[in-house]
Amino acid sequence: MRRITEHPILEFPERKVITFYFEGKPLTAYEGDTVASALISNGIQAFRESIELHRPRGMFCAIGNCSSCLMVVNGVPNVRTCVTPVEEGMTVERQLNRGVMP
Amino acid sequence: MSYDIIIVGGGIQGVATAYELAKRKAGKILLLEKTFLSAGSTGSCAAGIRAQFGSEFNVSLMARSLQIFEHLAEELDVTNDFLELWQGGYLVLAYSQAEFDGLKERVKVQHRFGIATEVLSPEEVAYRFPRVNIEGIYGATYHKRDGHADPLHTTFAYGEAARRLGVEIRQWSPVTRILVEDDAIQGVELADGTKEYAPTVLLSAGAWSTALARTAGVDLPIWGEKHEILITEPWERVLDPMVISFSRGFYIQQRPHGSFIMGLPPVNPVKWYDPEEFDFGPNSDFLSRMSNEATHVLPFLAQVNVVRQWAGLYEMTPDHHHIIGPVDEVRGLWVAAGGSGHGFMFGPVMAEQLSKWMIGEPMDIDLTPLAFRRFKEGKLVVEPAVVG
Repeated sequence: MRRITEHPILEFPERKVITFYFEGKPLTAYEGDTVASALISNGIQAFRESIELHRPRGMFCAIGNCSSCLMVVNGVPNVRTCVTPVEEGMTVERQLNRGVMP
Repeated sequence: MSYDIIIVGGGIQGVATAYELAKRKAGKILLLEKTFLSAGSTGSCAAGIRAQFGSEFNVSLMARSLQIFEHLAEELDVTNDFLELWQGGYLVLAYSQAEFDGLKERVKVQHRFGIATEVLSPEEVAYRFPRVNIEGIYGATYHKRDGHADPLHTTFAYGEAARRLGVEIRQWSPVTRILVEDDAIQGVELADGTKEYAPTVLLSAGAWSTALARTAGVDLPIWGEKHEILITEPWERVLDPMVISFSRGFYIQQRPHGSFIMGLPPVNPVKWYDPEEFDFGPNSDFLSRMSNEATHVLPFLAQVNVVRQWAGLYEMTPDHHHIIGPVDEVRGLWVAAGGSGHGFMFGPVMAEQLSKWMIGEPMDIDLTPLAFRRFKEGKLVVEPAVVG
C-alpha cells in the first residue's frame, strides 16, 4: 500500500481494515478512506475515460468539483469518488462513458 | 462608409437575415453586434425547436422552420453534429381534461400543415416514454420532428456563411442611436461616435430593440422578461423528447452532448423596457422550484447533478408574436424582434421570409400581419401554445 506513515504534525491512528472490489478484484482499504484514496493507495490511478477522446482520467481536484474522478460505484455511475467514503463490500468500476442511467 | 443595409443585433434573427439577404444579393450589408454573436436572448435559450403551436400562422411558420433546420447543415456547409440537431420530439403533457382538449384542437391545425403530431393517452405515454411519471396526466401530444438545435452554433454557422457571401460582421460594436432625417433612415451611430450610413436599417436587437427604436422616435411594445434555465452534468442518452407542460410551465430535454437543460417561467414576471433595468442574476428560488418540478415528472433526474444556472430575456410582445416588417413612421426602418420565448426556433423561417419581403420578392408565408402597424390597427395575433 502507498501510504504516508510518518508526518511531522499529523498522527495516523490505527483504523479498521475493510474489503472493497475494483473491477471484481478484492482490495483492502482503511475505514474513513474515500474511494479515490483507497484506489490510489492500491496503486490504481486511472478512474475513468474522458468522454470524447477516451483518455485516462484520475484524481484531480479532490474536492468533488471537477468530475475527473467519476466512477461507477455499486452500479451507480457519475459518483464523485474523491468525496465518497469507501464501504465494506462496495463495488467500484472504471467509467468508460457519460454514465448509463440505472 | 455607406451600405445598402445595416442590421443591428447579432442574435439568430439578425445573423440569419444577413445570410438570407446576402444569398438574395441584396447589396452591401453591415451587421453590428453590441458584444458577440448570440450573446443575448439567442444564446441563453433552451435550444428547443417545435412545430406544436396552436395558431395557423405559427404552425405554418414552424413547419417551414423545421424543414430549414433539417437541411441547414448542408445549406451552411457545417454538420448536424456541429448544429447539435436532435429530433427526439416534443412530448406536451396535459394536466387537466380541458388542457388535453385544447391540445387536441391544436393537433387538428398541425395536421392541416403536414405536422404529424400524435395524441397519446397516459398509458401510451407510460409505454413509449417509461421514464416519464404519468401521475396527474390526462394525456399528451407528441411530434417526433420537434427537438433541439444549438442556438450558439446555429448562429455561428449562419454568421460564417454570411461572411463568405460578403456580409461585414462587426462584434463589440454597440449601436447607440438610429439616425433619422425627414422621417427617413440615414444610418446608425455607434458608442464610439462613429456613424455608418444606409437607406435601410433592420433592428433585430431583441429586448434591446425598444430603447434603440426610441432614438428614432418609435415606441415598440417589446419588453424583456427574465426567464431562468439550468443545465446538468452529461449522461448517456436516456430521454429522447423535450418534456413540456404549458400549464405547469416546465420544459426539460436532454441535449445531444448528454446534459439536461430545463427551465420554468418566473412566478412574478416584471416588464423591463430599459436595458438599464435588465438583471441576469441567478435565484435560488428558481433552482428549488425547477428541481421539484423536474424530479416529479422525471424522477430519475434526482440522481443528476446541476452544473450551472443562468437567466435570459424573453423579448415579449402583447400578443406573444414577433414584430417583423417595416415601421411605417420611419422610411427605411425595419424591425425583426419580439420572439416572445420562441425567437430562436422561428429564426430561420423569419429570416428567409423577411429577406424576401425586404427585397420585394413575394413571401411564401405572408408575414405582413406581424408588422408593427397591427397594434395601431388593433389586429393582434393570438397564440395559445406558449410557456409563461
